[in-house]
Amino acid sequence: MDLRLTETQEMFKKVAADFVRAEVPAHLMTQWYRTKETFRPEVYRKAASLGWLGMLLPEEYGGAETSFTDCATVFEELGRGPVPGPFFAAGVLAAQIVFAGGSDEQKKSLLPAICKGGSIPIPAITDKAAGWGAEAVETSLTRSGSGFILDGSKRFVFDAEAATGFIVAARTEIGEIALVLVDRASAGLSIKPLVGFTVSAAEVTFEKVRLSGSSVITASSGWQVLSAALEKSLPILCAYQVGACQEIFDFTAEYTRTRVVFGQPIGRFQRVQDHCVDLSVHLDAARYATYEALWRLDSGLPAAAAVHEAKAIASEGYYQACNYAHMVFAGPGTDYGHPLMAHSVLAHTLYQYLGTPWHHKRSMMDLLYPISWIPLAGCLALSL
Amino acid sequence: MDFNMQADTPETSAFRKEVRQWLQENMRGSEKLRWSASWSTRENEEEYRFRRNLAGKLGKKGWLFPMFPVEYGGAGLTIHHQTVLETELAEYGLSLNHVFYTIARIVAPVILKWGTEEQKREFLPPMVRGEISVWQVLTEPQGGSDVANCQTRAIRDGDRYVVSGQKVMVGHHKPPDFLWTLVCTDPSRPRHENLGWLHIPANLPGITIQPMYMMMGLKNTVFFDGVRVPAKYLVGDENNGWRVANTHLELEHGGEGRVGADPLVERVVEYCQKTKIAGMPLMEDDQVRDTIADMMIDLNTLRRFNQRNYWHRHTRNPHPYGGAQQRYFQRVMRLRNGERLQRIMGCDALVQDLSVHEVVDFEYAVRTGPGQLHGGGTLDTDRLVFARRVGLGRPTKEKAPETI
Ligand SMILES: Cc1cc2nc3c(=O)[nH]c(=O)nc-3n(C[C@H](O)[C@H](O)[C@H](O)COP(=O)(O)OP(=O)(O)OC[C@H]3O[C@@H](n4cnc5c(N)ncnc54)[C@H](O)[C@@H]3O)c2cc1C
Repeated sequence: MDLRLTETQEMFKKVAADFVRAEVPAHLMTQWYRTKETFRPEVYRKAASLGWLGMLLPEEYGGAETSFTDCATVFEELGRGPVPGPFFAAGVLAAQIVFAGGSDEQKKSLLPAICKGGSIPIPAITDKAAGWGAEAVETSLTRSGSGFILDGSKRFVFDAEAATGFIVAARTEIGEIALVLVDRASAGLSIKPLVGFTVSAAEVTFEKVRLSGSSVITASSGWQVLSAALEKSLPILCAYQVGACQEIFDFTAEYTRTRVVFGQPIGRFQRVQDHCVDLSVHLDAARYATYEALWRLDSGLPAAAAVHEAKAIASEGYYQACNYAHMVFAGPGTDYGHPLMAHSVLAHTLYQYLGTPWHHKRSMMDLLYPISWIPLAGCLALSL
Repeated sequence: MDFNMQADTPETSAFRKEVRQWLQENMRGSEKLRWSASWSTRENEEEYRFRRNLAGKLGKKGWLFPMFPVEYGGAGLTIHHQTVLETELAEYGLSLNHVFYTIARIVAPVILKWGTEEQKREFLPPMVRGEISVWQVLTEPQGGSDVANCQTRAIRDGDRYVVSGQKVMVGHHKPPDFLWTLVCTDPSRPRHENLGWLHIPANLPGITIQPMYMMMGLKNTVFFDGVRVPAKYLVGDENNGWRVANTHLELEHGGEGRVGADPLVERVVEYCQKTKIAGMPLMEDDQVRDTIADMMIDLNTLRRFNQRNYWHRHTRNPHPYGGAQQRYFQRVMRLRNGERLQRIMGCDALVQDLSVHEVVDFEYAVRTGPGQLHGGGTLDTDRLVFARRVGLGRPTKEKAPETI
């Protein structure tokens, strides 16, 4: 047992922390979130030059072949920003999807480009806003000559504005799930940013988009490929959320020292202290669930249930950390110029992204305690 | 990070084998009691005998306090050995803390830190070997949270302290051998500079113990009426008691950490697989599954907080607020779990009936939910400590005391 970071990880962490301070100062960051101009190509390019895109990939594909925990230490610092941009969506998740399911050719052409930041494929998975899972994939993929036609609409696509292309989940004619690559410039593709208490999210519509045969990553095992990629990616997203919680905890604790009301620092009020305690519980619950899942992945132990658990805890934790911080900051915390607002809108968005906590808890249970369908099968046999 | 608590060196793997075999032999016939031992305040004669018996056997080998020096009754082993013991006991749903039905898990480290050489040689071995029962005696009727406002007097008279006062809500349903007691050694001195700790033999004249019937089980009132306690029983110097209390309270307040997990979820799952409504096992009901998922996640979070605190403690790098956070979380969680049990199993959760489950009485978990919130200080105390450690509303952060 050793709960410290390694020297290499400490170094990653420091480089990333310095980067966040220099490139994403609070006054700019809050403005980006307020105006919803969250894709900053210059920030993204710099991160690519530091090797943070496709970090987990083997070197032959342009990656750094780091451990999961190494990668997470960088993302934890990015979450402190919170640095916006498709670092996770393209640099981790899309990279893992292509790596897990792509052909050799697709890997060779796409993965190095992801690592360099030139190619930004964004996963567009479920159609409906509510619900997450294979059953929520409705966009259709039909054969047409030597190619395909893609038709449907993805209601909630995170980081869509940054995309150079999309990795789209679609139903085939025989009801299986395919994953296909779609260029952003394709005729019939449109992106409509979502307006509301969400950020970096858009509805992406594919209106009879024509695709060549080579754009197919998998024609039938889309959900399996996605699940395998998610198992390796989600803990990195969790680490980002942990970093965000840590930042919120730190600036909230500091505010209790400096804000004076009724002639005393507000941190002397026990009600205010209570909010901080609850905030810390969410932070550390998320932190240790995340790092335990990362450790399982790094050690080659079964990790699927732990990953679902971590995602549930981290998404809920980030969301609640914001709520408790709001209680401490009161009015000023609701000003869009305040960093807490950027976190708050992002926390609500990430709560939905790639499945809600509720979804992940159920997935965890289904893995640990599968329901036997034998009674149901029995009924079916009778009715036949 | 490495969360693996079972990674062995050549040295510890031999030790693990030895421990595993020893436990197999010594747990034979008592397997069903394993779970009950983690509810160490339940009043059940069989369980009590089992725990005392096992503690005595572990103690004889120095394994109850494996890291304590041999001359004080320990085994002089390393943290790695202790972790082996803890993880092997965890296989039986046990931990060194819970095997041992006395508060000595806290008292012995405090004496190790603050006692004189002579005191350590005399007081520690029986405790460390699990032979005696010690109660911690702090709370007074005028308010337990304000520990420093201690009114029980211990006035020096020659080679003795004369102790008078009243303590409440202490101990359990079995008589003690010693009373580890917070006293005021000099009423004329300012707060925090007037306290002391006495390790009082429970059979001295002038001590009266009266039962109190409480939610968590039996507790006691202890009256000290001019009890003459030899001065050698004062640990950590006269008027230095507040500093000693800090070590004590940090251990009690979650800082000691723990490895191994609470098996409550496993037991609930067993119950839900067995219990059917309209032919369908409860375990296939969505609401039951959601409720169990929440319990499991909370218990896993607690397990990770415990592991973190354990690691920080034993690497001599106390976590600044981990103790208070763990305790606050644990107790609020247990309260929540009481309600979850009711939701899942209906009346079975309220009835003391071992036929519901071979060894678990869920009623205990439900009933003690609101009761376990206060032992060793309330939720408010936990949050107060947290605020100081994090430095909420203040320029400086209070350091976590070293606990050994
Ligand atoms: C199951 C159980 C086991 C126990 N075992 C022992 C034992 O073995 N040995 C022992 O010595 N004692 C024991 N106790 C006593 C326990 O330590 C006290 O109950 C506890 O310290 C609180 O004291 P009190 O009950 O007198 O509450 P009080 O101190 O009267 O508190 C009443 C209320 O005021 C709040 N409060 C008090 N001060 C503050 C403050 N500064 N800020 C905010 N709120 C505050 C409290 O949180 C509480 O809500 C046990 C109690 C229980 C329930």
